[in-house]
Amino acid sequence: MAAKRKQPSRDEDPRTEATTFRAPVETLEMLSDDEGPEEDAASDDGQVDEFPEIDAASDSEAEDEVDEEGSDEEDFEEEDSDDSLDRDIFPKPKTIISDITGQPKRVYPEIEPDYDSDSSTEDAPNRVGDVPMHWYDDLPHVGYDMDGKKVLRPARGDELDKFLQTVEDPSAWTSAFDKTAQMDRPLSAEELDIIRRLYANEVPDAGYDPYEPMTEFFTGKGKEEVMPLSAAPEPKRRWVPSKWEKQKVMKIVRAIRQGRIIPSKPKTASKLEFYAIWSEPSTSHAPPLPAPKPRLPTNSESYNPPEEYLPTEAERAEWEALDPEDREHDYLPKKHSALRLVPAYDRFIKERFNRQLDLYLAPRIQRVKLNIDPSTLIPKLPSPQSLKPFPNYKSLKFTHSGRARCISISPDGAWVISGDENGIVSLWEVNVGREVKRWKFEGKIGALEWCPRTDVSYFVVGIEEALHFVIPPNLSSTVLLLTQSVLAPTTLPPAPETPSPVKWVTPPTSSWSPDTAILTVQLPQSSGLPKQIAWHRRGDYMATVSSGGTQGGVWMHQITRRHSQAPFKKIRGAVQLVLFHPLKPHFFVATQQYVRIYNLSEQKLLKTLTPGIKWISSMDVHPSGDHLIVGGYDRKLCWFDLELSDKPYKILRYHTRAIRSLAFHPTYPLFASSSDDGAIQVFHSRVYNDLMTDPLIVPLKILRGHTVKEGLGVLQVKWCARQPWLVSGGADGTVGLWCS
Amino acid sequence: MAPSSHPAVFTTQTPYPLPPQMFMIPTTWSRYQLSQLVNKALSLAKPIPFDFLLRGDLLKSSLADWCTQNAVGEEETLEIEYIESVLPPQQMSDLPHDDWVSSVSCQLEQRFLTASYDGQLRTFDYSQNQTWSSSIHGAAITSFCIVPSTLSDSHLIATASHDLTAQLTQVSLESAEKTKPLASLHLHTAPLSSVSSNSAGSQILTASWDGLVGLWDTLVPDVDEVPEPAAGDRKKRRKIEQVRPKRKAPLMVLKSHTARVSGATFNDERTAYSCGFDSTVRSWDLEHGVCTATITSSERPFLSLSLAPAASAPSALLASSTDRTVSQYDFREPHSLSSLTLTHPATPSCIVRSPNHPHQILSGAYDGAARIWDLRSVKGATPVASFKAWDGEKKILGVDWKTGGIVGVAGEGGLGVWKVGEGSSTTVA
Repeated sequence: MAAKRKQPSRDEDPRTEATTFRAPVETLEMLSDDEGPEEDAASDDGQVDEFPEIDAASDSEAEDEVDEEGSDEEDFEEEDSDDSLDRDIFPKPKTIISDITGQPKRVYPEIEPDYDSDSSTEDAPNRVGDVPMHWYDDLPHVGYDMDGKKVLRPARGDELDKFLQTVEDPSAWTSAFDKTAQMDRPLSAEELDIIRRLYANEVPDAGYDPYEPMTEFFTGKGKEEVMPLSAAPEPKRRWVPSKWEKQKVMKIVRAIRQGRIIPSKPKTASKLEFYAIWSEPSTSHAPPLPAPKPRLPTNSESYNPPEEYLPTEAERAEWEALDPEDREHDYLPKKHSALRLVPAYDRFIKERFNRQLDLYLAPRIQRVKLNIDPSTLIPKLPSPQSLKPFPNYKSLKFTHSGRARCISISPDGAWVISGDENGIVSLWEVNVGREVKRWKFEGKIGALEWCPRTDVSYFVVGIEEALHFVIPPNLSSTVLLLTQSVLAPTTLPPAPETPSPVKWVTPPTSSWSPDTAILTVQLPQSSGLPKQIAWHRRGDYMATVSSGGTQGGVWMHQITRRHSQAPFKKIRGAVQLVLFHPLKPHFFVATQQYVRIYNLSEQKLLKTLTPGIKWISSMDVHPSGDHLIVGGYDRKLCWFDLELSDKPYKILRYHTRAIRSLAFHPTYPLFASSSDDGAIQVFHSRVYNDLMTDPLIVPLKILRGHTVKEGLGVLQVKWCARQPWLVSGGADGTVGLWCS
Repeated sequence: MAPSSHPAVFTTQTPYPLPPQMFMIPTTWSRYQLSQLVNKALSLAKPIPFDFLLRGDLLKSSLADWCTQNAVGEEETLEIEYIESVLPPQQMSDLPHDDWVSSVSCQLEQRFLTASYDGQLRTFDYSQNQTWSSSIHGAAITSFCIVPSTLSDSHLIATASHDLTAQLTQVSLESAEKTKPLASLHLHTAPLSSVSSNSAGSQILTASWDGLVGLWDTLVPDVDEVPEPAAGDRKKRRKIEQVRPKRKAPLMVLKSHTARVSGATFNDERTAYSCGFDSTVRSWDLEHGVCTATITSSERPFLSLSLAPAASAPSALLASSTDRTVSQYDFREPHSLSSLTLTHPATPSCIVRSPNHPHQILSGAYDGAARIWDLRSVKGATPVASFKAWDGEKKILGVDWKTGGIVGVAGEGGLGVWKVGEGSSTTVA
């Protein structure tokens, strides 16, 4: 009995204690004090507490049973629906208007007691009941059927079979393991719907409407309950003060009077609590930074500053005229003869406030600042002065009436020919600039190129649908005779088997004159203006690119055989430029976006370079043949290392407008690019024989001097053969010579 | 004593020496005050303007400025050399030509002789009239020289041309009949760049773009020394030349240059100098035809050369190059570095030394400006005088300087004649 009494009191006391005192230590003290005079109250409590406990337990059990039965029914119906999927497991309710209340109500269909309605006749062979199925884990069967025969465990494959099943069976992912059958069964549509609803945190029952309108039975107009539900008289306990409550309160009152409960006792005990400061692991956070120290006062803030700190009237007026934010100091130095005469600091509050504001608002974090001198990020390039010689000033200027679109320099570097858009070709000395001879052709000059042979001397002028071969004046007789015999041999070579649409015409010997062409190559009709003439280094083959015509407008001419052929049957894209490799029998063809390299002897495509330029405008190959520069109208200049990659080794974008022309110097490590911005840029480009060392490209000089006319700048640049001199032709009609 | 003054000692090579005495010069003084000081100290009857050289630098601003620029302390004693200043050159006449004038000579009495790119020689008298002209070559004449000769009423002129030949022509200014080509000089396979003769008139040198220098005598051969070339060429030549000159072969071929030879000149009877685009200046022994010395400069293609004024450096020569400098080289010095470099704003195309002033040279450049340099003022590289021959950017291609201060400037704008004030040293010395 003592134990029985003790138990409720133990339950009771902490409850009251917990409201007032939190320390569990106190409760233990109370218990020891409580022992004697509490017996009557405790026994009463026990009775009160017992009844509701039993009550609650019985209720919950009953409910559980009901639930289980319900779930069983559902299970059976589920299995039923497995056999015939078209039938519903849930009987669908119909909503009808009740005759009695006039409100809508749900009516479920009647269950007809035929064979199908009986769940016992359905095919559920395992009648083992709701027992844990792991009891059958070691047995060959999983239960017993209605006749008491063993239901054997269905065969279950290994993981591989499972996987194969998931691959083969489209419904595998919607099937679940059925414990009683010990096998996977596909879930029905309703079950999947329930799962979906559970996932979506909805009510699982599809037919349940959580927002259905409230049916008012006892409230609302005309439905007020006037009569009491029960005729029993009001019990006394409803209006007499509770005896038990009084007893409980009196118990506390007595305890307080006797001093067993001290109402306002300090919560914490006087015992010292120790905190193991070192046992806790240190945080990974950086310690908070100390606040920056306020600035120390200066001489001018002294109460008695030296005279030179005191502001003059003008300075004072200027200081007062300024906004407080713009003032350099927020005070004016003032002189006081003694410290006791210094008045109270009127801005004390404001200053403190600002200081606090600063500390609060300014985030005190340590910024990891990259302390890098930006100049060190620039790659170490040698100084241009050490890379002399390179052209750095305009030595002389030659003027054309039209745009000087094309220029060429004789292989010995002594003569320049320049052609303009009015059909004038001028021959002039490189370093005097005196025009020695002038030829006039019909229409624009599209291209000019001097034959690279040194034993003969002539150049080719490309105009609309024709190429003219011209011999310059003042040649020595041996060179002149050899040139004439090359261009107009007395015995013509045999005509090729396949007739070519290109005609080679030599005027009769009697009509030869220095003013006319000694040989004319008639390109086919509507082939347009030859944009480019490219010589092979031996000076026998020559390739031309025309603006129109078939086969990309590319023609290959052989001087000795007086024969022209189109090297490409068909070619993708419009050909912009062609070039011969300086050493190998390779041929570069630049279309708008790609540069293709063909092997001429094997007649196959070797490589396709993708510069990533929208429209290629110019191209030149390094004299070593291993490097190629490609310039585009989109201002980019790409340097290709042909041994390295199909992608550019370096992309330079230094021009502000489209690049027009590029040229490598034949002997010096220089190249130049010209652009529509009127500037020529000269680069040092050292190429190493060592395959491991990358080419060194150093920008040397920007040569300005051409004026931009109608959006066009410098149209072509060429190098003198033996000197580091550059010749540039511009849209303003001037041809400049840039000397070192 | 004023705090801003400088101790100075004056020296000079002019015939107006000051006594060796220390002067305290206010540092605010510039050329004008110094010149006045010298004039007053010498108490000259006619004032002579002077220029002042401080450590080889021509004084352009005040003394104080010069001292701060050159970091000279106030206590140091300056040695100021004074030279007679060059008066601003004055244009005397302008003789326009149909074509560019490549070369000019003022050495004939009362005449200017010009060679032009249309292949003609022309003479002008001092009243700007063209007195004579003759077509010598079918192509441009790049250079000519007057060969000193014993002919009484005519002159012997050597011309170099783009048509690969040089030519000796007897020119009579009075009668056109006596003008006749004497000999054509056949050696070169490229256009010629210059021709020059020695002082005796016995030999001439030709320089060509093919890297050869030809040495010729001036005797006219009786027969062709070089055979005619084959057919086609002859026809053209006959059309141009009525009187066919004798074809002459060189005495000697000086072969050492690797690129175009742009200039060749005699030093004395036995030695010659040449310069070329291979950045070398070479000295030749004419007796044996060998190159005796070579000065190789780094990347300096030379355009022309001239002997330095005799007084400043007896065996030195000046060469202009396309890197816009005129440099002085001396073959006697063991190291081949240039002792003096005059920097131009444009390509200097031609140089001539002063005929009588011991230190002055004249250079013409592609910007159309001719500049007079004093070789004593080596540091600052500022010309003592300069003048623009024509308006605009017209190139100067040839200059000549005659005793008496007459300068002929040939180039794109024709021929300009200028009067250059020279110091009176010649009259006294």
